[in-house]
Amino acid sequence: MSEPLDPASLPIRSTLDIVTARHAARELCERLGFGKADQTRLATAVSELARNVIQYAGVGTCLIEDESDAHSRRIQVRIEDQGPGIPNLELALTDGYSTSGGLGAGLPGTRRLTDVFQIESVPGSTRVTIALVKPR
Amino acid sequence: MNTAFQRLQHDQRAELLADWLQHLTTTFDRHHAHPSSLDIQREVLFNAILATLAGVPSDDFRLDPESELGRHLSRLIAEQARQLANPADSIGSLLALKSILARALIALDAESPVIDELLWLDRVFDGLSLFAFKSFVDIRERLIAEQSLSLLELSTPVLRVWHQVLLLPLVGVIDTQRARQVTERLLESIAQYEARVTILDLTGVPVLDTSVAQHLMKTIDAARLLGTRIVMTGISPEGAQTLTKLGIRFADVISRATLRAGIAEALLIVGRRIAPLNEERPA
Repeated sequence: MSEPLDPASLPIRSTLDIVTARHAARELCERLGFGKADQTRLATAVSELARNVIQYAGVGTCLIEDESDAHSRRIQVRIEDQGPGIPNLELALTDGYSTSGGLGAGLPGTRRLTDVFQIESVPGSTRVTIALVKPR
Repeated sequence: MNTAFQRLQHDQRAELLADWLQHLTTTFDRHHAHPSSLDIQREVLFNAILATLAGVPSDDFRLDPESELGRHLSRLIAEQARQLANPADSIGSLLALKSILARALIALDAESPVIDELLWLDRVFDGLSLFAFKSFVDIRERLIAEQSLSLLELSTPVLRVWHQVLLLPLVGVIDTQRARQVTERLLESIAQYEARVTILDLTGVPVLDTSVAQHLMKTIDAARLLGTRIVMTGISPEGAQTLTKLGIRFADVISRATLRAGIAEALLIVGRRIAPLNEERPA
């Protein structure tokens, strides 16, 4: 078994960084041996979350980690910001709900796209952790 | 009483400048044509640096971009960055001046120590180097941004495939700006060619997320108002899966997996087809 790959921590400050972040996620996904569908799944999820950071908080960070162990391959992405937070999480995770005139599919869609989806949000700190997991 | 730098400025200005220019010519300008305007700019910069050194030393030197020295330095750096010079050369030429000045300081008076002056020299050139580095990077970044803007101009062609059939191949990142531009051009072309069908090819779009989907939907809605039908092509199998998981539907849009199938469909809508030459014409 190979050593876990180094985590990559990327700043999210502009729409360009969204591209960088999802590219990094896709690349690590590929290196860990995930298939094309999984790569697309994760890249899209990262794209959604990073765009939320730009749209609602302005700046944030994206940490992409290889959390594989002996039993499973696991790639985890944590996206954090210090923005205003999400006032009503339940509503934000409902399909079709958007405070910005969007499709309202971003967060609920991301939850469906990923194997692990955790979200914590208080004013001043929002953290979303997603992961794809595959048995070895 | 004059400080050591004031004495240097007063007594050795011309020699030091000549030394520096000579050094620059032999070290950095060998491979390039050497415009005489560069010498003048360097002399102006040299004078401004000496003037700063001759001023009152402070513990924390930070170069003010609005000061005379700041403006001269950023102008020189801007020119070098534009000529795609090596950033190490720009900073290197500053550091060359620093070592010339340090040597002159030490030679000035073998008796009394010049440690304070040397430290001040160090602080000033640290500040200058940092400033030069930052301006260099800023300018390069601006150049890159300008270039990507011109790429943007090029990257949204609307192609006329056949009478009343248009093709819009989308390539790359679809952000708000890009989407607006694409929509504008497409609508103009639809009106101009009275297009009945528009093929929207997404083969070159790397990620189809909700934001991209929303931009596409708006483009499609606007195009439909002008009386064209939309055929979407080039969504990859993974892309299709992802879109459904996200819960995005493109209701009432004809979609074909490949551009080939899309073109066939579009021609069918306008009542044409592609047939081999030797086939008998239908009566």
